Amino acid sequence: MFDDLWRRAAAAEDSSEDAPDSSSRLKSRILSMLISLEQDEGPLRILRESRDLGEKLCVFEHAVAMLPSDDLQSRNPCSVCHARLLGEMVEKAPIFWPGCPYAKYCGH
Amino acid sequence: MCSTHLSNVLPLMTPAASLQHLKVPNLLKPPELPKLHDVDFQLAGAILARDRKATARLVEMHADAVHRYVWRRLHPRVEMVDDLVQESFVAAWRALKTYSGDASLQTWLVSIARFKVEDYYRRTLGGALTRIESEVDLSTIPDDLDLDVSFDEGRRCERVSAVLAMLPYEYAVALRWRYWEGRSAREMAAFNGRTEKAVERLLARARQQFKEQWLDAERRIHV
Repeated sequence: MFDDLWRRAAAAEDSSEDAPDSSSRLKSRILSMLISLEQDEGPLRILRESRDLGEKLCVFEHAVAMLPSDDLQSRNPCSVCHARLLGEMVEKAPIFWPGCPYAKYCGH
Repeated sequence: MCSTHLSNVLPLMTPAASLQHLKVPNLLKPPELPKLHDVDFQLAGAILARDRKATARLVEMHADAVHRYVWRRLHPRVEMVDDLVQESFVAAWRALKTYSGDASLQTWLVSIARFKVEDYYRRTLGGALTRIESEVDLSTIPDDLDLDVSFDEGRRCERVSAVLAMLPYEYAVALRWRYWEGRSAREMAAFNGRTEKAVERLLARARQQFKEQWLDAERRIHV
């Protein structure tokens, strides 16, 4: 009986709506952490390639994607961007750059 | 009697090459089947190619589901949830090469989060199990949980959650691990490096406390 009671309660709990979504700050921190790990493994995919594959770039990434140097394009401009800092520190930060993942996590 | 063998007609070739020469499909090599979760598999491939935009999409698409799963398993002590979610993503990223596309990325990520949750459970129960193992009397408490659960499903589940929140956290964790994650006492003991007896006793006490709180709640309703 105890097993059954708990199994049903677990199923109800798993489908309930009360658990909150992840905060935008947490998403931002996870992304920064993963990109930093990727950089430790080797150069990032160059931005021009990402753009050609259909990914949206932010205004700064567009500028970097125009540079002829693959080395520069494989670096991470977000590491020096205020949008990343705001995204990591402030919930639903007022970042409005189209193509910026941190802005997207904030719902903009 | 003319016995013409294929090898006399065709130049010496490997079996696969012979078949190609005859314009016959290569039956020795199994055909490439589409992955069950092809879109997820491609996303994983892009992340492995260190495409930051693909990584951003992974977080965007799945962080909420992983967060909700971990939150439910740790509730009401949710201060560790963010850390476990982040650890889950890092572990998933490290193991991404092993992702085969047979399950969805979300299912795969949640299964990794489950290991993180169980590791948290193990750490949480460490102290309680040490105390129990140091006790002299390790006889099992009888399991006579004849609770009245005759009311409707919704209220019953609500009551389980409410009673769970009132229990000492170690007991709540033990019960969740045993019944929600479906681990046997033996598995829990192995995970903790403890004796099965100690785990059984901890579970028995947790059930006993659960029953007392359940009956208490019932009395409060009837008063």
